[in-house]
Amino acid sequence: MTKTTPSLLDLTRSAADLALKKGAGEAAAGAWQARHVEVAWRDGKIEKISEATTRGLALDLYVDGRYASVSTSDLRPEALDRFVEDSTALARKLAPDPFRALPDPALYQGQARVDLELEDPSHGALDSATRRRLAEELEAAARAVPGAGQILSVTTGASDTRAESVLVHTNGFEGSRRGTDFWISAEVTVKDPDGRRPEESAASGSRFFAELESPGDVGRRAAERALARVGSVKGPSAVLPMAVDARSAGRIVAALFGPLGAASLQQKRSFLEGKAGATVGSALLDLVDDPLVVRGLGSRLYDGEGMAARSFPVFEGGVLRNYYVDTYYGRKLGMAPTTARTSNLAWKLGPRSQPELLATMGEGILVTGFLGGNSNGTTGDFSLGVRGFRVRGGRRAEPVGEMNVSGNHLELWKRLSAVGNDPYRYSAMRTPTLVFDGVQFAGT
Amino acid sequence: MQIRYFARFGVTEAMIAETLAGALSRGGDAADVFFQHRVSSDVGVEDGAVNRAHASVELGVGVRVVKGDQTGYGYTEDLRLPALLECARTAAAIADGPARPAPVRLHVREALPDRYPLVRRWEDIRPDEKLPLVAALNERAFAADPRVKKVNVYLRDEAGAILVADSSGRLVEDEQPMTLLFLSVLAEQNGRREQNGYNVAGRAGFEFYSPDRLDRVIREAVARTTILFEAGPPPAGEMPVVLAAGSSGILLHEAIGHGMEADFNRKGVSIYADKIGKPIARPFVNIVDDAAPPGARGAINVDDEGNAAGTTRLVEGGVLATYLHDAISAKHYGVVPTGNGRRESYRHAPLPRMRATYMLPGPHETEEIIRSVKKGIYCANFSNGQVAIGAGDFTFYVKNGWLIEDGKLTRPVKDVNVIGNGPQALERVDMVSNDLAIDEGGWTCGKDGQSVPVSQGLPTVRVSSMTVGGRGS
Repeated sequence: MTKTTPSLLDLTRSAADLALKKGAGEAAAGAWQARHVEVAWRDGKIEKISEATTRGLALDLYVDGRYASVSTSDLRPEALDRFVEDSTALARKLAPDPFRALPDPALYQGQARVDLELEDPSHGALDSATRRRLAEELEAAARAVPGAGQILSVTTGASDTRAESVLVHTNGFEGSRRGTDFWISAEVTVKDPDGRRPEESAASGSRFFAELESPGDVGRRAAERALARVGSVKGPSAVLPMAVDARSAGRIVAALFGPLGAASLQQKRSFLEGKAGATVGSALLDLVDDPLVVRGLGSRLYDGEGMAARSFPVFEGGVLRNYYVDTYYGRKLGMAPTTARTSNLAWKLGPRSQPELLATMGEGILVTGFLGGNSNGTTGDFSLGVRGFRVRGGRRAEPVGEMNVSGNHLELWKRLSAVGNDPYRYSAMRTPTLVFDGVQFAGT
Repeated sequence: MQIRYFARFGVTEAMIAETLAGALSRGGDAADVFFQHRVSSDVGVEDGAVNRAHASVELGVGVRVVKGDQTGYGYTEDLRLPALLECARTAAAIADGPARPAPVRLHVREALPDRYPLVRRWEDIRPDEKLPLVAALNERAFAADPRVKKVNVYLRDEAGAILVADSSGRLVEDEQPMTLLFLSVLAEQNGRREQNGYNVAGRAGFEFYSPDRLDRVIREAVARTTILFEAGPPPAGEMPVVLAAGSSGILLHEAIGHGMEADFNRKGVSIYADKIGKPIARPFVNIVDDAAPPGARGAINVDDEGNAAGTTRLVEGGVLATYLHDAISAKHYGVVPTGNGRRESYRHAPLPRMRATYMLPGPHETEEIIRSVKKGIYCANFSNGQVAIGAGDFTFYVKNGWLIEDGKLTRPVKDVNVIGNGPQALERVDMVSNDLAIDEGGWTCGKDGQSVPVSQGLPTVRVSSMTVGGRGS
């Protein structure tokens, strides 16, 4: 069980009370406090140490049918008093908005009775010597790979956060939570004979310190990835199958989630509007939003609006099943709220590993990183810079870079031809390797 | 009394001196404290009504200790002495030796330039003036074209100040206003929808919103949206790319600006490391990073380390001239800091960052440049860009542009990412017009998890070949 710092709970309750005292009919108050420590290490010595405990407060004010929100890090009582007073006065000047109100209290009920195990009780025992040792080991591992003579620089890091937050709604919600996370990472820059200095990185993150991948594995992976970039070429423009590795796939998947949001639907800015129940991808597009994963990076018992967290299917066999609906835009649209934001994604995984998928793919490009680009949420058009490897005869071949992929999401996802068995553990999106047929690449 | 702005929070010279002494208690080379107060206010229009507002306050302090290239950093929202001393202790731990003396008395840095003189300060502007402004923009955007179906308007203003004091005894305060207006339009035509917008930003007061500027916001937002109905993707592959004057400065920001930030070069991880003094572009290419454009979003009177901020020449006559330095890199290279030490907030240590980056006018005529292209694209407006510092690959995303065929702009193009390699792209800048414009948009640059406001500009430029992420051939 977790306990919340009394002062944070008191602060949040008194902020909600203050809002009511200043004339809000109802209010939501959220306060947070976090201890964050970060060690960066470069080429044999510490580059930077940053350490702090930081806090803040946010309020949603519902005043005479009008709405304003505020956030502040100035928690001196007299300053807070004046700030809330000024903000309620500002809210009164606005046009009424009949859709603004706190969530239906019925939606606060029914929180799952599980221990999500989001806080590592050993966090307090982590000391600076350990963080430093992790950073050193990351570098040592990177510099121990074959070909390490080409390494120009290794930057590694170890960071950890212990955060707690409290949420109070004046119509009957009070919640608090605590969590920890731990991250280690390595970035390696290598010398390319032509003068370029390609860089690559690797990371591992976890709710529990003991579940971090070993620094040796992470450091080695970063160095191997960087060395594999040496001699990258721009391939010819062509329409080819595209595999996107598990780590990078989040970038292309993320483009779906803005358009799945009720705000985009209501503002007519979603290429997924009107597609509930419709097929928008191949049968392999199949994923659930699951907030109740034990030790999950995106896990929660209640969402940012205090609504009890439940899992729901987003895509099922290529069919769009649910949007992300918050209270406000749900009311505007006449839709029942689900939740405003993603938690953890649980994909229906395929049976095969990435090498097996490439073997089946035969010819194409394996994308291992995106660079810039964008996706138009209204039309679904996208255009993204990519780097990766040519796939020839079913195997990873020469590195390619300075290329681009483009298309439209409504077509792309219908050409999803394979899903790997390798979800990326260090992101709540948990994307596996994804394979698409017939993707437009631009190069020479 | 030396401290002006931060005196209202009880910050005193004695507190700062004691904090600096704590920061140097373990033998750091140098230390600084950075106080920040930023008050921002947003009002917004959606579905025809000014029905939302957001206000935020950031108040805090960061303490930094530097030992060689190494940094220790701590920060807090509590501006009282015990909290400051705790931050100092944390930051001091980067060093491990006998204490160094800290200044007993601080001296206020001589007069700063005044690059953002305010006519109407945001503290004095009541909602009764802001709300009608955004309401009118909403109505005028709908009236401008019957295809307009949704309009969003946001007006943001910021007031506040920073205070930097360091172990040399120097103390400086700077009040830093900012405003941003954003108009977004969704239009429908024959069952199709397109969305786009326009935004303007600057370090200015309410006077920024002149009738001319507001007219332009509406005109551009609507035109940039409705033209998308006629636009399609350009072909895929390498071709000449002409960059319109103004926001095309994103080319410089990504292709060279980041690569010239001295921290990356000090670490040897930039593709520009070891290229100072070498020719990298044609002789008519001159690129600066400038703190001084009056009222520009990227303008600063002083950087976030308290150093004077002027005009830094990145490329002079085609030759790579100067990196962008913060105090750490300047010491490393034995040069004077260029005033590029910037940070997002008190929660972050400063890094070398750009301010307003632009290319000076060149010898060609705009018409001549467009006429010279047989088949290529003309890039007019952009949404975002990115760079890989070491590999040198960079991108920018073109929201509006035109196909150039036989020297003429023929049909509109949209939503296309353009990718190149920094040094190669600069070498390929083979025509530069005389029509330099610094864009008025609300650009924000991200690095190491820190966002800072920047400006960018360019005259019309031709890059002889880049890869255009279009479709087909």
